[in-house]
Amino acid sequence: MITRSQTTLLYDGFRHSAMCIKMALLRLLAALLLVTTWNSNTYAQNDEIVLVVNPQIQERMISQSTVRTIFGMRLHKWKEYNIKVFVLPDDDPVHNSFSKQILGMFPHQLRWAWDRQVFSGTGRAPIVVKNEDEMRQSIASTPGAIGYLRRSQVDETVHELLLK
Amino acid sequence: MKPFMNYYLNNPSHQGRTWLLMPMLLAVCLCSTVANATTSDDEYQIHGFASQAYISTTDNNFFGETSANDNFGFTELGLNALVRPTPNFHIAGQVLLRRAGESDDGKIRLDYGLADYTFISNPTKRLGMRAGRLLNPLGFYNETRDVALTRPSILLPQSIYFDRARDLALSSDGIQVYGEHRGPHNEIFWQLGVANPRVDNPEIELALLADLPGRLESDTSYLGRLLWERDGGRLRVSLSAIQANIKYASSGQPLPFDLSSGTIVFEPTVLSIQYNTEYWSLTSEYALRHFDYKDFGPGLADMNFTGESYYVQGSYRFASKWDTFLRYDAAYTDKEDRNGSDYEVATGKPAHKRFAKDWTVGVGWMATPKILLRGEVHVIDGTAWLPALDNLQPTKQYWNMLNLSLSYRF
Repeated sequence: MITRSQTTLLYDGFRHSAMCIKMALLRLLAALLLVTTWNSNTYAQNDEIVLVVNPQIQERMISQSTVRTIFGMRLHKWKEYNIKVFVLPDDDPVHNSFSKQILGMFPHQLRWAWDRQVFSGTGRAPIVVKNEDEMRQSIASTPGAIGYLRRSQVDETVHELLLK
Repeated sequence: MKPFMNYYLNNPSHQGRTWLLMPMLLAVCLCSTVANATTSDDEYQIHGFASQAYISTTDNNFFGETSANDNFGFTELGLNALVRPTPNFHIAGQVLLRRAGESDDGKIRLDYGLADYTFISNPTKRLGMRAGRLLNPLGFYNETRDVALTRPSILLPQSIYFDRARDLALSSDGIQVYGEHRGPHNEIFWQLGVANPRVDNPEIELALLADLPGRLESDTSYLGRLLWERDGGRLRVSLSAIQANIKYASSGQPLPFDLSSGTIVFEPTVLSIQYNTEYWSLTSEYALRHFDYKDFGPGLADMNFTGESYYVQGSYRFASKWDTFLRYDAAYTDKEDRNGSDYEVATGKPAHKRFAKDWTVGVGWMATPKILLRGEVHVIDGTAWLPALDNLQPTKQYWNMLNLSLSYRF
């Protein structure tokens, strides 16, 4: 038989351990927050991002609104070229800078725009490459390809496209 | 209504569909591998998603007996494909397996299946047409409501995106014309459609009418959305509306077994506004849902009423892979009777069935670009959008809900 005072004790003990768990969880959350905030931007900000295209594309200038439409996957043919869009993963710092500097958009908006099309059958997602080396090689070898690189990563296999 | 529920609960075809889950999950994983291997070819694309939620409620049930120990009743698995033989033509389809407590048993369904042709496409405009089973452009989230990674929270604001009559709201069979007009700072998107709503489903009959021996038939219906975006989506404003025309074909039995053949007109209108900065998003949607019941004979007098819903949500991306949000979401079944008192007097049922006011706070962690973990707490006053089939017992007015979810997309 368990008496009334014993159940109160049991209850208090339970309450105490619940408090301990709560405190531990809060500390864990605080630690996680600190770690992720510090890790967020880890490449040299002074390396400018540039638009690059397959050398077959003769154009040298493009307007920001057209770039937005192309990377928003809503314009598949630009001039006489069938466009293929290449991007880096969503969490890549170069992708983040590209969105903001070249498109004037935030990466979360771009992702939402792609997802809306992909999951409603109205459009496609861009091709995701792992890193800038793969980006450069894909652009160099794919007719109609468009993507972006840090200026230090650009070589003669791809052509730079300037914003009007 | 009661006999229908008994039928539903006892009918073996509504149970045990979970055996489909594993093969479907396997298919999603397989396709994920195949799709990864072929991403350099963009003539066709395969994408998919999977999500499992843990839902726990203090009182009342949401997607399973969540106030007891049945906490894993909400599963979503989807797979879609898009084939583009020429740059201005594509066909696409998506199948979905969805478990949501008693009201969704995990049967596989076609969410959409369409052919899309673009007549004009240049940097300043686009004009095209789609035909088939098409998603209804209603508000910001209706078209992707089943894809957890596109939602700002585990459950969409239930006042507008509630799950009763979900198939009716989601998609319809018909044609749509669409256009885009692009300037340096402003873009206009529009869609206009003629379609037959999806009503061939006992759940929709139950949501709109009751369990009756006749059947619902869809009639020609109209829908449209106008969306304005400024500076690549920094500001987004949209107005969308549907006029769904539905006929009830009576079995011909006299009262009290059946009503006469009548018509239901359902007209939801949604105004949506969103403002985005790098770290903040402020989103609000306001909806009016007008119902008009006519010609059901002496068993059901002609009636019309308008439901009202809105929510305001602030999201904050406080670190590179983290977001948190706070939302207030309110639903009123009849805006002339917001506290449900007239309803209580007329029916003897509790007033709190006619409204729901939900404060939600949540956090999300994008572990990788494909994997999302979320947690959220709801503090709720009212039961207007509680799934009816999960709550056959009396409901409580004040209740809380804790949700956790793990979601994947490729």
